[in-house]
Amino acid sequence: MVSQVSAQLVLATKTGPELPSIDDFLPDPILFQGTPFAINRIILIRIVATIVLLLVMCITAKRAKLVPGRWQGLIETLLEFVRDNIVYQVMGEERGRRYVPMITTLFFTIFAFNLCGVIPGMNMAATATVTMPLVFALWTFVQYWIAACREKGFFKYLRGELMPPGVPLPIDIILGPINLLEVLIIRPFSLTVRLFANMIAGHLLVATCLAFTQFYLIESPNWGIKPVGALWLLGGFAFVCFEMFVAALQAYVFAILSTVYINQSYPEVE
Amino acid sequence: MDIITLAEVAGNISVLGYGVAAIGPGIGMGILVGKALESTARQPEVSGRIQTLMFIGLAMIELLGLLGFVAFVMAK
Amino acid sequence: MPLAEKSGISLFLPETYDIVWSLVILVVIAVCFYKYVMPKFQAVFDARAAKIEGRMAQAEKAQKDADEAKKKYEDQLSQARVEASKIRDDARAEASHIIADARSRAESDAAQITENAQRSIESQQKQALVSLKGEVGTLATALAGKILGSELSSSATQTQMLDKMIDEMDADSNK
Repeated sequence: MVSQVSAQLVLATKTGPELPSIDDFLPDPILFQGTPFAINRIILIRIVATIVLLLVMCITAKRAKLVPGRWQGLIETLLEFVRDNIVYQVMGEERGRRYVPMITTLFFTIFAFNLCGVIPGMNMAATATVTMPLVFALWTFVQYWIAACREKGFFKYLRGELMPPGVPLPIDIILGPINLLEVLIIRPFSLTVRLFANMIAGHLLVATCLAFTQFYLIESPNWGIKPVGALWLLGGFAFVCFEMFVAALQAYVFAILSTVYINQSYPEVE
Repeated sequence: MDIITLAEVAGNISVLGYGVAAIGPGIGMGILVGKALESTARQPEVSGRIQTLMFIGLAMIELLGLLGFVAFVMAK
Repeated sequence: MPLAEKSGISLFLPETYDIVWSLVILVVIAVCFYKYVMPKFQAVFDARAAKIEGRMAQAEKAQKDADEAKKKYEDQLSQARVEASKIRDDARAEASHIIADARSRAESDAAQITENAQRSIESQQKQALVSLKGEVGTLATALAGKILGSELSSSATQTQMLDKMIDEMDADSNK
């Protein structure tokens, strides 16, 4: 509604800031329009982030020495964090060994893409449209179904989910479809929406703060209201820091939930 | 004054809806973190495991809050 | 600024080009991680773990050698101590023997010396008596001759008188 108002007054003096809206997340394609390979601004950000991530990781891996220097030590700390605190803590060492590359890829990619939301040139998290989180969630979905079929057998897994042991039949009739729905739809859907809604909310917060800063501090004709702009700038600082924290947290949560779902496809360890 | 005029004057009612939808997850998250702190105070040696479980629970609850946000955005 | 043309639901409907590019990006990153980055880091971790294990095994061996050497040294030390005390005891016993021997030898020497001295005193006494006997006999005879006023003419009476006088002197001296 505010954008409508400001649109009508675009020829007059500014009476309100240019607040961000959903259009930020649905930009028009700028290259190769019309083909299935069209690139819009967000996809361009994604490609740049991919190139940077792969360059950094491959150069660090290539120059990996036995006695690590500082940068290699930092990357190794992150790798060991993913391996020990996420995979091995949930799944144990023998089961977890084959899933460490997948979870590491998920964690690093999501972290790098989320951080693009605070990097000055890009200002938009590469995971802020629905597709990228959907692709990650589908990868996890495929992996935990394959693990279930391999470890427990397809029908045994379904029976374990639909009719859990120790549950009387009347409750089973209600519980069964809910569990089936959860395993089939709710898990990947929740993974997607969690990541992507967090990124949208974060971007809207930061952009709103900075839009108000711009309006009150710079463009407003009323001098008495400039200090309020400084307050909005402080809010911008706070939300940028919060965004960085949320970037890391969402990457961690995605990785650990993937691990938990895959672990639940294995038979229980007594 | 019918309901449409009310909505037009007052803005989007989905904003109110989102505000109401944020109460539940807020309470739930408060209880979760409180219980996690309590159990860490009782048994500090399992604090790593409890922290992991707290983050998993936090993610689930936050999802419900974000579902409200998503509904708000979808209704615009 | 144009009006917001898109409604909220279009956020949830992915565009085709979006899906294509997302899949391409994910496949590229996954292949790169699986084939290059993770094996390299895994090799570094394994080499480091092997080196640490090797170094630790070496350190354990060195520690074990040091412990053995210490034990050997301590054994030798205790053995030496036992020997030293035995030698000391032997030495003490011998010393007391030596002292006892010397004392007994000295006592026997002293006894012998006193015996010798006693014997020489006796022989000297006898010698003195014999010489005195001779002188006293002559003196007594001269005196008796002078007292008697006449020289005793016969040596038999002289000898008889001398013997009688010596016997009386012996009896006196033996009393």
